[in-house]
Amino acid sequence: MADNEKSGLLAMLRRPSAKYSLLSLLVVGFFSGIFFWGGFNTAMEATNTLEFCIGCHEMRDNVYQEYKKTIHYANRTGVRAICSDCHVPKDWTHKMIRKIQASKEVWGKITGVIDTPEKFEAHRLQLAENEWARMKANDSRECRNCHSFDGMDVEKQKLRGAKMHKIGIAEKKTCIDCHKGIAHNKPKGMKEDDDE
Amino acid sequence: MSKSIVSTAVAGVLLALGSHAAIAAPDWGKVPKRDIQVFHPGVATIEWITKKSDHSGTAGLRKGESCVGCHEEKGGLNFNMKRLADAKELEPKGAPKTLNFPVAVQAAYDAGNLYVRLSFKAPAGGADKGDKDNDVKATLLFGDAKVPQGAQVGCWATCHTDARTMPGADEKKTKYTKEGAYELVQWASKGNKVSDGSVTTERKMSGGSTGAKVEGGKSGDTYTLTFTRKNPGEGKTVPFGFAIHSDHASGRFHHVSMGYSLGIGADGDIKVTKQ
Repeated sequence: MADNEKSGLLAMLRRPSAKYSLLSLLVVGFFSGIFFWGGFNTAMEATNTLEFCIGCHEMRDNVYQEYKKTIHYANRTGVRAICSDCHVPKDWTHKMIRKIQASKEVWGKITGVIDTPEKFEAHRLQLAENEWARMKANDSRECRNCHSFDGMDVEKQKLRGAKMHKIGIAEKKTCIDCHKGIAHNKPKGMKEDDDE
Repeated sequence: MSKSIVSTAVAGVLLALGSHAAIAAPDWGKVPKRDIQVFHPGVATIEWITKKSDHSGTAGLRKGESCVGCHEEKGGLNFNMKRLADAKELEPKGAPKTLNFPVAVQAAYDAGNLYVRLSFKAPAGGADKGDKDNDVKATLLFGDAKVPQGAQVGCWATCHTDARTMPGADEKKTKYTKEGAYELVQWASKGNKVSDGSVTTERKMSGGSTGAKVEGGKSGDTYTLTFTRKNPGEGKTVPFGFAIHSDHASGRFHHVSMGYSLGIGADGDIKVTKQ
């Protein structure tokens, strides 16, 4: 009986409509597509806001407080990079992959892996290393959404930055090779790079 | 009789040498003066500056860049002094109120001697008053060619995390080098004491071979000290750094210069003027 119903439902879905015109189906399908696709992306973008990120106390009380003291939060020009600017890819495909990976963080939230400052500190190195590895693997793609060697005039930089960037360009370094701990506290016990 | 003649002759020679030295003393009005900033280094030791996770400039050091090459800019220092005073980062014990100040440096040489003149106002407000005897000390280090990165890092080649006054370090372990040697000349304010020593596997405050003399002292609020030492040799470039222990400071609680090279008839960060 159930098999008959299932096959009946499948048969119905596969059967051309005799009741609705093709135009009606196209119009309904088109607007439904806009509604669901727009809704999906709107919901996804909502998870990219600063407010969403610091909605959990784990982020608000730890990394957010550290970030507020850095140049990516407040600077001379008033251009602010929020959490997602650095931690979530801009293009859709990589963004989706990152969001799916980030769903693991929901489990972390439920189980309280970093729900106290002490637990956060205990995991800081591991969390940072995960993110550094991601940035290294993608050639600091999120940094390069705003910064690039092409657009950089090292002669206008302070002496030490200019010298280091010249070395970085010559050695094809990527941003995260040097710029660790620029928006959050550096973890204790960092490993030295193996390739140097 | 003959002994007396010999003694008179020796005295005469010594007197002549002394007069010669007096005559050869540099005309400081004709020697260029360079203001060099000395600063409180906190616990930023050689281990700190050569560890990439602490100091990204390590990549520059490996390329042969000197501390001065990156950090001396527009007559000042371009690094973040607040980090050197931060209790959570590089100064767990407490930093002096004045984190950096200028020292006017002049250098000259003649056939026999190298002269270095320092002029500075020693700041009060020290965080450590471990040296009860001396209000101020001024110390010069001259490195030899065997000191690793000596021309780049200056005194830092002698400054280690496990040396006295560093957190948790053995209070009997002095500054030291892993390779090579530094000549050390120090002037201390109490009794105008001059030490002629060295830094190798340990620091020795005597037994040096520079024949160091120091003249001068405090006049008004300014110290002017003229160090005279044996000329290391014309045509040489000598790694050089100096430190001022101000307001009874001891150990690492000095204000220190980065490493410079003295060009004695040769290229150098500080071109030594021939007399």
